[in-house]
Amino acid sequence: MGDFENWANATFRQSHIAVDDDDLAFVQLIYVSTMTRLGVLDRLNLDDFPSRAIDLRRAPDLT
Amino acid sequence: MSHPQDLSLHEQAAAIARGDLDPTELISTTLLRIVERDGPINSTPVVFEKESMAMLHDAPRGALYGVPITVKDMFALPWRAARNGSERDLISATASGPFRRLRDAGAVVVGIANQHELGMGTTGAISAYGPMGNPWNPATCAGGSSGGSAAAVSARLVAGSLASDSAGSTRLPASYCGVVGLKLTYGSVPYDGYFGASTTFSAPGVIARDARDARLLAEALLDRPLASSSGAPLRVGVVRTPFWDDVDPEIAVACESALRDAEWNVVELQIEHLELVGAAVLGRLIAEASPPSADVMATLSRPTRAMLLASMLAPARVVPRADRVRAAVRAALADAFGGVDLIAWPCTPTAAPPLSNPWVSLPSGQSPADGPNMRQAAIANLCGIPGIAVPVGLHSLALPMGLQLLAAWGQESVLLDAAQHLEYATQRAYVDLIPPLAR
Repeated sequence: MGDFENWANATFRQSHIAVDDDDLAFVQLIYVSTMTRLGVLDRLNLDDFPSRAIDLRRAPDLT
Repeated sequence: MSHPQDLSLHEQAAAIARGDLDPTELISTTLLRIVERDGPINSTPVVFEKESMAMLHDAPRGALYGVPITVKDMFALPWRAARNGSERDLISATASGPFRRLRDAGAVVVGIANQHELGMGTTGAISAYGPMGNPWNPATCAGGSSGGSAAAVSARLVAGSLASDSAGSTRLPASYCGVVGLKLTYGSVPYDGYFGASTTFSAPGVIARDARDARLLAEALLDRPLASSSGAPLRVGVVRTPFWDDVDPEIAVACESALRDAEWNVVELQIEHLELVGAAVLGRLIAEASPPSADVMATLSRPTRAMLLASMLAPARVVPRADRVRAAVRAALADAFGGVDLIAWPCTPTAAPPLSNPWVSLPSGQSPADGPNMRQAAIANLCGIPGIAVPVGLHSLALPMGLQLLAAWGQESVLLDAAQHLEYATQRAYVDLIPPLAR
């Protein structure tokens, strides 16, 4: 069993969730795709994206 | 007289108020129509014969008095737990906030609207109740996650349905099925007893056959009037890339034609940071996905289970970064709405794909339908704004096409005004189209 499978299995065991090999293959596919798409967030210049409070019910204060 | 479910929602309500339509008979004939017509589309797998009559008995004489509706499986009812398209009761039976608003307006719940399992898909192909078919062609997707709501309204089983929208789940199925789907502003309705309470993306939505009916339902849900505007021409912003460029060209042409028919002042628009929206949506959604208990997980379909399991592995560091992007995109959108009343682009990038293989072909290539669908829709959920899907014609595949309009926070009335104007400008040519199943 590879590193990913061992790590994933350990994580799921902590939540008492049993998975089979087909589950793990599907999870790995989704995980790899997800991390690729999220990579852009790791490359953000945080100076350009300040942390701001969010209230989704109304427009942000632009002042 | 034709079947009362061939009347619009407001016509049903008006006929009842005048005494021309007996609400008891309306509910009985509606339940019968669901049984007779729903087989190929599986939109309404559970009906409430006894409970709907009890609800009518106690119904106040509000704007929706006696009008039958269905409610998505995401909302708990006093007599039934919410299952969210799964096999198990996930929120105990209770009068959920959105249910209370509709009940207090006099509406009667006649059944559960089928939905994509746990709301985690835009096709309606996976549900514990079975997949949802499109009334225009039951071998194609009704959409998701509120596919049962859209299919039932399109097939004239009911004239209105309570839906929800976490990444397009009201607007996308409305577009596939040729009906109107309105996503409300985030947090504008009480969220208790509703799965939306567990995420910052979800808002209740309504599905109806036209804008007037959607307004009636939305007013009940929001518990406030949504007055029509003066009719001054609207300023509409269009963002070409990727929302108009990477879609089926036939759909782009239909949406362009609708904007021309409306004679709105259309301007090209640039919105900062759009290229980061997909990652921010994904980062936040997987952080907010909460896997159910192990015994419920064991009952889920493999794709849903795999998505939930993968979410458990995602690193926490993406969340604050996604939130920084979210704040920046909200500011950019607010800035854009300083210059336009609406933002417009095609709703679904293709017509409904086959249920047996829900992939789509776009200029950018082939992919499962979920990704491109969410790309067109989820900015509204990331930012909390309302949006509406309106029908704009039939594709050469004999399937509906839809235009999406977005407005600033709390501006549902602007969306409904625009949708109503578009219906007028096109002489109701698209909104009155009837699918083969309902002819």
